[in-house]
Amino acid sequence: MSILKLENISKHYLKAAGAKQNVLENINILIDDTDGKGKFISILAPFASGKSTLLKIISAIEKPDGGKVYLKNNVYDKPIGKIALIPERPSSFPWLNVKENIAFGRRPNSSSSLGDQEVFYKELIDMVGLSGYEGHFPHNESLGFRFRISLARALAAKPEIILLDEPFKRMNSETKDEIYEMIRKVIKKYNLTIILATTNITEAVYLSNKIYLMKKNPGHIFEEINIDAETAIIKGLDRHDRFLSLKNEIEKSFRSAGENFHTEVHI
Amino acid sequence: MIELQIRRRPSAIYVVTYFILWIVLFEFVLPVNNVLPKPSIVIQSFGALWDEYHLAVNYLNTTASVYLSILFAYLLLHFLSHFFDNRKSVVSDFIHSLNWFSKFLPGILIGFLLIYWFHDSLYIEFVFALLTSFFSFVIFFQKRRAHLCHEYVDAARSLGISEISIRRKVIWKSLQPEIFNHIFVLHLYIWSLVIAFEFIYGKFGIGNIFRLALQYRDLSAMFSAFLIVGITIFAGRGVIIFLKKKFAFWE
Repeated sequence: MSILKLENISKHYLKAAGAKQNVLENINILIDDTDGKGKFISILAPFASGKSTLLKIISAIEKPDGGKVYLKNNVYDKPIGKIALIPERPSSFPWLNVKENIAFGRRPNSSSSLGDQEVFYKELIDMVGLSGYEGHFPHNESLGFRFRISLARALAAKPEIILLDEPFKRMNSETKDEIYEMIRKVIKKYNLTIILATTNITEAVYLSNKIYLMKKNPGHIFEEINIDAETAIIKGLDRHDRFLSLKNEIEKSFRSAGENFHTEVHI
Repeated sequence: MIELQIRRRPSAIYVVTYFILWIVLFEFVLPVNNVLPKPSIVIQSFGALWDEYHLAVNYLNTTASVYLSILFAYLLLHFLSHFFDNRKSVVSDFIHSLNWFSKFLPGILIGFLLIYWFHDSLYIEFVFALLTSFFSFVIFFQKRRAHLCHEYVDAARSLGISEISIRRKVIWKSLQPEIFNHIFVLHLYIWSLVIAFEFIYGKFGIGNIFRLALQYRDLSAMFSAFLIVGITIFAGRGVIIFLKKKFAFWE
């Protein structure tokens, strides 16, 4: 069964002068759930290629001008709370403390008892490494800290898919390493699918089971690369031959597609 | 480094310096003049202000008009903010037109009209202050709403949170630091307008005390009223800072 299917998605914006600008054209993505395990999918594309727009369409925050989006074979056109988006800039609410932020993600119609909810929140707080910080407010905290809150809040909604819109871009390498490890655990524990939009080739290869390559003007998926599940998410992959060959393969694909795309190499 | 030291020097030092200068100059050096009253006479005039100018009632009238209007306008905006959230609605166009008018018409002119229409009303001053505060809030809200941090809204929307909850729990909350900053500006503006309104209306309020003191050429009463207004605004500002630190601390 497919978890997510995008069928001929297109989107355009009107420029100030009234001219039409195609942002996305004929996007087709199919993410299946044959093995029943969680997956990490990346959409690797240059800057300003429509990645964020695509994620907003997947989360139904924006409507496509053409095409349909399916979640488990059901079409949806408004947010259903099953696909949580974590935007590029910190989205944890600064007016709520860590625990309140996480509780915000809980469905209003959730029938679990108060005790169960407390256990669940504690589990999420432990999972993202924020034990002891339950009462902290995030406004003065680091990007990594705020990302952890956003991730736990997304998990509190018990989603099928979590969308990450380049949240690691401005984090330092130590924080990134910790968060990659945490994401690996999250996927394994909750069997969910995470889709990352990124411009960072290392990040994409390091984390993903599958990478969609996307070019711009208009945004269009031109190739998909399956990465062996065994080699994905292995520490030190960037030193491995497989990583280098994948990186070369991806860069070659971008060049063949006429995209002058220099990706970041280091995590 | 020098700049930092200058910034750290508290304004209270200037206030105390001016105060001492006033005492030295006008109590001892120039006790008889038409510029500022003698400090000892100002102290004595507080009694006259209380009895002859009915300070208590007038003070309560002005402060109630200023602070209750700001409070009610804030609460009204809170409850009605969803009407002003949609930038393509008729309400939004109406607010936009008010904003356009406010660039060319000083708010006190509306006060003239209200005085003309309701010249015997006890509450018209409060209504004037409330309307001014409310529309100032609404215009500000609409402007800031357009530049809201969309990450908060997008993340909440993707979690399946209802639009009503997003307006109440995300949009309204995220604008609080800026709304409190606007209250700082509005606070002084409403004080100025209310005093001007009372001065013209000539029935009650601190503005009316100024009017009477001018009529009687009572410089010490006028100066005492100045001090009372200044101290009240200073205290009011302190309360707003306290509330901001308590309820909108994340700026």
